[in-house]
Amino acid sequence: MMQIRLAGIGGQGVILAGVILGEAAAIEGLNVLQTQDYGSASRGGHSIADVIISKEPIYELMVTKADVLVALAQLGYDSTKEELKRDGILIVDTDLVKPDRDYIGAPFTHLAEENTGLALTVNMVALGYLVAKTGIVKKESVEEAIKRRVPKGTEDINVKAFRVGYEEGLK
Amino acid sequence: MIIRGDEPEQLRLLRKLYKPGNYFMQGNEAVAYGALFAGCRFYAGYPITPSSEIAETMARELPKLHGYYLQMEDEIGSIAAMVGASWTGFKVMTATSGPGFSLMQENLGYAVMTETPLVLVDVQRSGPSTGQATKGAQGDFFQARWGTHGDHPIVAVSPVSVEDAFWETIRAFNIAEKLRSPVVVLFDGVIAHTREQMRIPDVSEVEITYRKLPKNEEEAKLPFGGALVPPMPLFGHGYFTHVTGSTHKENGLRDVYTQEVHDRLVRRIHKKIEEHEEEIQKWEEYFTDDMDILIVSWGVSARPSLGAVLKARDDGIKAGLFVPKTVHPFPGKRIRELSKKVRVILVPEMNLGQLILEVQRYVNDDVLLKGVNKIGGVPLRVEEILREIRGVA
Repeated sequence: MMQIRLAGIGGQGVILAGVILGEAAAIEGLNVLQTQDYGSASRGGHSIADVIISKEPIYELMVTKADVLVALAQLGYDSTKEELKRDGILIVDTDLVKPDRDYIGAPFTHLAEENTGLALTVNMVALGYLVAKTGIVKKESVEEAIKRRVPKGTEDINVKAFRVGYEEGLK
Repeated sequence: MIIRGDEPEQLRLLRKLYKPGNYFMQGNEAVAYGALFAGCRFYAGYPITPSSEIAETMARELPKLHGYYLQMEDEIGSIAAMVGASWTGFKVMTATSGPGFSLMQENLGYAVMTETPLVLVDVQRSGPSTGQATKGAQGDFFQARWGTHGDHPIVAVSPVSVEDAFWETIRAFNIAEKLRSPVVVLFDGVIAHTREQMRIPDVSEVEITYRKLPKNEEEAKLPFGGALVPPMPLFGHGYFTHVTGSTHKENGLRDVYTQEVHDRLVRRIHKKIEEHEEEIQKWEEYFTDDMDILIVSWGVSARPSLGAVLKARDDGIKAGLFVPKTVHPFPGKRIRELSKKVRVILVPEMNLGQLILEVQRYVNDDVLLKGVNKIGGVPLRVEEILREIRGVA
């Protein structure tokens, strides 16, 4: 079982990234449960997406101890850093989060803007990095999930952003 | 025009729009698709977190099935519109959350008294009042049972997973139609916003029920008596039907003074639920053949309860689990039987102790009855329930 938490602020597309990761796991026939937690404000509040992926049935309803925490904003990191296992993997946007423990990551928002012209695709860049680093699902499954879940007409730009993050993660 | 979900054209559309197979779906979406498969073609609602995706899905999908989505001014209007639409022959649904459910209570009583089939989904959130708007809870167990005033029966079902939400919604419609009664789906904000895999079946795998209609004018003259569940003369078919929330005779006309008339009406409304209790009641049992400790849990808390029971059994603790899917009328007789086998009953739920009060009515004093309660919008964890099981083992 792998417990993954994505944390950021409202508007960064954190929940969509969680849904796409979940859908990719479902495509592979794995058991998956995806939940979220967000503030009532439409932008700027904390935003968290949980994804639990397992070959066995899942009895938890949210991440209890994260194996992986992806933080795209300081607020997201601060609000949930205690939930990451001591030996868990912390992945951060290195421009936006200053962690107080070991981490890996890249300037995801900067990469998104540079490669797609849209900072909005930061969620896909981070997702690509996560998938490359953990191998939890196959690259192809995520690309299929992206095509199913993003608004029509934005499939290509989102897949492109995902690949940018994936390549970065392979480095 | 009234759209029935079992017409050949509707079955063709359902097959075309929602191909059978596995989907990664959210709890709220599963409720909406369950309603569409059950034949619901009219939805009147006022969106509220955490139920809004039900309204969104119905607003998007109903027009494709020639159905109607009505955006109302508030929750009072929503349930009133549903009652009206139901009397024209539609299968109807609305969804809300705690605060909206409170506003709907007056007309829920009206639906009970006028024997109007409808399905009301309450996606429970953390209260009281506006509470934690985005967080799930299980605090409306008794609001569903006694939220509206006066002697009245109610049927409420409570799903435990995304796929279960699809099927329990269909079951709610079938009970509502068969018994000409409102049925509550006591859902919660956690599963509502959880996505997991579920299978969309072929329409041929879904059994759906429609209300009994009068065969002729003679039968239409007694819309509120003559049979335990009288036939429902729909509006627009030439019948002169009087529908009122005030006490009425078998022909529908008011009589608010005669004791026997009220007694006869309200006792029949109770009796139609009581007589069908065995058919309505549904539950799941795990390891109840061989147990010392019984866990009774419902809705969202049933899942971590099962996880905890499995872990306890790995440790050699004989724990069993009972999950009522129909929470009202509560399957108390089965609880009474099971309670005779055990020393301890634990009741995990996301409130400060509601289902446990219902359990208590069926259990002798020599059994230790203990709640496992969590509030604040965070679901119970397997470990938290396991700790309590170990504590009484």
